[in-house]
Amino acid sequence: MKFIKKNLNLFSLKRWIRNKPVDFIVTMFLMLLILWVATLIVSWFILEANWNVVSDNLDLYAIGSYPADQKWRPMIWMLSLSTLTIITLTWRRKGILQKSLPWIWILMLPSGLVLMAGGPGLIPVASHKWGGLALTLILALSSAFIAMPLGILLALGRRSKLAIIKYSCGIYIDSMRSVPLIAILFFGQLLIPLFLPVEFDINRVVRAILAFAVFAAAYVAEDVRGGLQAIPKTQVEAAEALGLNPKQIAILIMLPQALRTAIPALTNQAIGLLQNTSLMAILGLVELLGISRSLLANPNFMGRYLEVYVWIAAVYWLICTSMALLARRLEQELDPNILTIKSNEISN
Amino acid sequence: MKSVIKAKGVVKTFQGGKKALDEVSLEVGKGEVTVIMGPSGSGKSTLIRTFNGLESIDEGIIEVLGVELDSYHDERKVMRIRRRVGMVFQQFNLFPHLSIIDNITIAPIKVQKRNKEEVASKAFQLLAQMGIAEHAMKFPSQLSGGEQQRVAIARALAMEPELILFDEPTSALDPERVKEVLDAMKQLANNGMTMVVVTHEIGFAREVADKVVFMDEGKIVEISAPEDFFSHAQNERSRRFLNQMM
Ligand SMILES: Nc1ncnc2c1ncn2[C@@H]1O[C@H](COP(=O)(O)OP(=O)(O)O)[C@@H](O)[C@H]1O
Ligand SMILES: [Mg+2]
Repeated sequence: MKFIKKNLNLFSLKRWIRNKPVDFIVTMFLMLLILWVATLIVSWFILEANWNVVSDNLDLYAIGSYPADQKWRPMIWMLSLSTLTIITLTWRRKGILQKSLPWIWILMLPSGLVLMAGGPGLIPVASHKWGGLALTLILALSSAFIAMPLGILLALGRRSKLAIIKYSCGIYIDSMRSVPLIAILFFGQLLIPLFLPVEFDINRVVRAILAFAVFAAAYVAEDVRGGLQAIPKTQVEAAEALGLNPKQIAILIMLPQALRTAIPALTNQAIGLLQNTSLMAILGLVELLGISRSLLANPNFMGRYLEVYVWIAAVYWLICTSMALLARRLEQELDPNILTIKSNEISN
Repeated sequence: MKSVIKAKGVVKTFQGGKKALDEVSLEVGKGEVTVIMGPSGSGKSTLIRTFNGLESIDEGIIEVLGVELDSYHDERKVMRIRRRVGMVFQQFNLFPHLSIIDNITIAPIKVQKRNKEEVASKAFQLLAQMGIAEHAMKFPSQLSGGEQQRVAIARALAMEPELILFDEPTSALDPERVKEVLDAMKQLANNGMTMVVVTHEIGFAREVADKVVFMDEGKIVEISAPEDFFSHAQNERSRRFLNQMM
């Protein structure tokens, strides 16, 4: 208390006003403004907001209109995703778990697809019944899964010695990057079916995934190319002198270094991709944003815009933050200096 | 004596018109240590890089271990040579994302398709020979320059090469680190390795070189035994160069 009194004593306040009047006025004004906004927000949260629109519909946000008796399938999948995220972020791992974690992560997508769509011993659930957060995650993960290798190939292709490959990759990358995503998505949803014979019916989710993937691949390619450019030419020479062939040099020497450098940029792409899946709401898929919009159209929850959007913003925020943290974790994991400490621990 | 390298009338002009090699002919015998000296920009690096096909040539013929390279630059022939010729660079050029042991074993495993365990035990043996066995599990960035360069030598040796090319292997090192690398190289020379070494280390040349090649402006100006070269070089330019060096 003494400390506060000392600092807030009238004398120094007077001196502040006298010496720096503008400083004082601006500070006071901003403090009042912040206080006022904070009061508004808090009072809205407590007095006005009606969170029924969220709490009554948690299932819908999570899985959309997925059949209720099969609800456990997407739920289990999302539960294991979050558990895996927490384990990866918090545990100080050693031995078997450390080696198997990457594989478990890689298995998450196929197992998610099987759980959602059905397979051996599971009743098939058509993709038009998928929805909510589960659909958002499926869209983002599947398209990232395709976009990564495609982008890497495009980046390598752009450096090819063969002119045809080099220029076709370059044209692909540049043209994808000069078209807005929403146009590609429209193209995927509306135009592809027109070109294909009637009996050849790819479903809407697959079309969306493909559209996201071909779009994101161009950006992945640019990020990987940045990583490749950062590798000194002498690395390639050393590898060539050892007799490694161009393919081995690309896979064993160039890509591991380039991808590590590209992780921060690729993380941004991944986060952007996840957020952009919300564009599919405009095209009628009921992913997280789509389901929210359809809830708002329900007369029972008329006008509850703020609650719904604050809620899904929080969900997006949580997911994107986890992705950023996971990426940082991966970056640390691939840092040579940390790797050695680990291998020393093992050998000791 | 069987020759390992036979270069005849080699010409190399870089894009932009710089003639880096001008009618160069050189023969290196099996088990010989050849030291190449000359001012900066005289074409020393370019010359030894033509021996394992890192640089293509415009005219002439280079025969390395019985494989002939010419201006056509046949990739398959180049590959055959690289499997049998090691190279050590001025800047070490270790692979930063691989541990020391992986740096050494990657080429024998991937290029020569040798057995992993066999290659690994051979790698440990080489590291011990270089006096750095305790660093096997570390990464290049954790080693000093001298240690990194000895790893680079071990990496070249792991391929069991019949010829090793050195491009100024000690120029990037702190002075107190030069000796450990030169000692490792002397040991190789004494074991009968065929070596072509670009270096300005006169002591090394005197002690282990069979001949000294002096280059200037893309030409070989003089080839002498080291004792002759350092006491009474025949060529005016060699003498001027040596005066500056010593
Ligand atoms: N990749 C290149 N492109 C163009 N000129 C080069 C290249 N490499 C070397 N040169 C030129 O060729 C000449 C010989 O270079 P180099 O063999 O590196 O000399 P040294 O190793 O004796 O210092 C120099 O004039 C250099 O500028
Ligand atoms: Mg040089």
